[in-house]
Amino acid sequence: MDTLDIALPQMAVLYGLCLAPWLLLWLIGLRLSRDIVISILRMGVQLALVGFYLKTLFSLNEPWLNALWILVMLAVADLSILQRAGLKLRFFVLPTFIAIALSTLFATFYLVVLVIQPPHFYDARYIVPLAGMILGNCLQGNVIALERFYSTLRKNEQEYMTFLLLGATRWEAVRPYYRVAVKAAVSPSIASMSTMGLVSLPGMMTGQILGGSEPWVAVKYQIAIMICIFTSTTLACVINLKLSLRNAFNAYDVLKDEVMELRK
Amino acid sequence: MTYPTMPAIIRFDHATVTVRDKTILSGISFTLRLGEKAVLCGKSGSGKSTVLKTLLGLQGLTGGSIFFQEKPLDAVTIQAVRRQTAYIGQEPVLGADTVRDALLLPFQFKAHRGHKPTDGQLKAVLAQLHLPAAILDQESGRISGGEKQRVALARGLLLGKNLYLLDEVTSALDSESKQAVFAVFADPKLTVLSVAHDPEWLERCDRVLALEEGRLTQEACHGHA
Repeated sequence: MDTLDIALPQMAVLYGLCLAPWLLLWLIGLRLSRDIVISILRMGVQLALVGFYLKTLFSLNEPWLNALWILVMLAVADLSILQRAGLKLRFFVLPTFIAIALSTLFATFYLVVLVIQPPHFYDARYIVPLAGMILGNCLQGNVIALERFYSTLRKNEQEYMTFLLLGATRWEAVRPYYRVAVKAAVSPSIASMSTMGLVSLPGMMTGQILGGSEPWVAVKYQIAIMICIFTSTTLACVINLKLSLRNAFNAYDVLKDEVMELRK
Repeated sequence: MTYPTMPAIIRFDHATVTVRDKTILSGISFTLRLGEKAVLCGKSGSGKSTVLKTLLGLQGLTGGSIFFQEKPLDAVTIQAVRRQTAYIGQEPVLGADTVRDALLLPFQFKAHRGHKPTDGQLKAVLAQLHLPAAILDQESGRISGGEKQRVALARGLLLGKNLYLLDEVTSALDSESKQAVFAVFADPKLTVLSVAHDPEWLERCDRVLALEEGRLTQEACHGHA
């Protein structure tokens, strides 16, 4: 069963739905028209480009092109994580890249090679969307982990220094903040697994069902992707924070002043 | 008391600190020998606390050097400084929920694991500082500033620290507690570099180092009480 296409006039009807929230926001005095228009336009253009890329990628299905696309996704995710966490690129760009690349590639290939087992492991139809979903969630987790870790550390600098002066190593002294940050980063993923199917029908499963898959197949894919998201987010956060410690402190174990961007 | 024959513990040699073009310390030089008790005094902003911070590696030097047991302060020697030094500020961070947990906190770290003191030892060191044993089970956030300072001091004593950097440590104490603190530092094995304005404390120190706008302007020696 093929999914029903949405024709252009119906797309226009769809965009018309935005008028309702726009009007409501305007009535309660929020002037967000500019932001709403820009966001909706950006979404349209970005997804159109992705649609074009994916169509090309799927039809060519070249391993090197697929790898290049994943590399681009990783690089964009890396920059996005640091920008959103308010951290300076020059200190964190490499550790974050290594952490998200290792964890995303590990979870994606584990899923594709050992679980789904398509005829070619590099098949763009599998690795590109799965890596994208895993990376997207990994990105959220890493923003939370880095932001929480460095802001908590900065806020509790006196306590951290007290631990050092009581004989703690740098690692022992940061461990309480490390645990808090990793917990904050992985909790949404754990909560999401526990309420899946009860609170909301997951997006990937809905997409597959609309695409004509059997509900049981969609359920199994959803479970697979959730486990991979949880695994890669946890791995990435744990590795990223640990690697970042090497660059963020001076030789005397003091957190460098310049690692964080000044918030406006 | 003078200590010319004792080994030097700390030596500042023209130590200078400049932060964003502002000079905080300007070519400070002095030596502190084993067992000496010295006090830094001067107006607010004269650089007293910065002297303590530089020694702990919390503030980098922009000129000159600091030597700890005649070794220049670097990433390796700073570990030795921190191992042997207790820093007690005006509002110490205890870093645990109860006073007992705060006293036992350092013994979770690899450096002190296996040397955990007994309850009897905890109570003895508290008594030495005029603190009741019942304070052990109190929440560390609910005790007074003076009690926090003495708990931090007790932690230093339990760790066998021999160099104490004290920032206005007697300012929040009543007369009896102050006498208890004085008695602890009468120990000739303990070396002290402090920041204080309390005349009684100044009187009990061997040396007074006066700072003015980051410069050492005066060095006076007292007879030890």
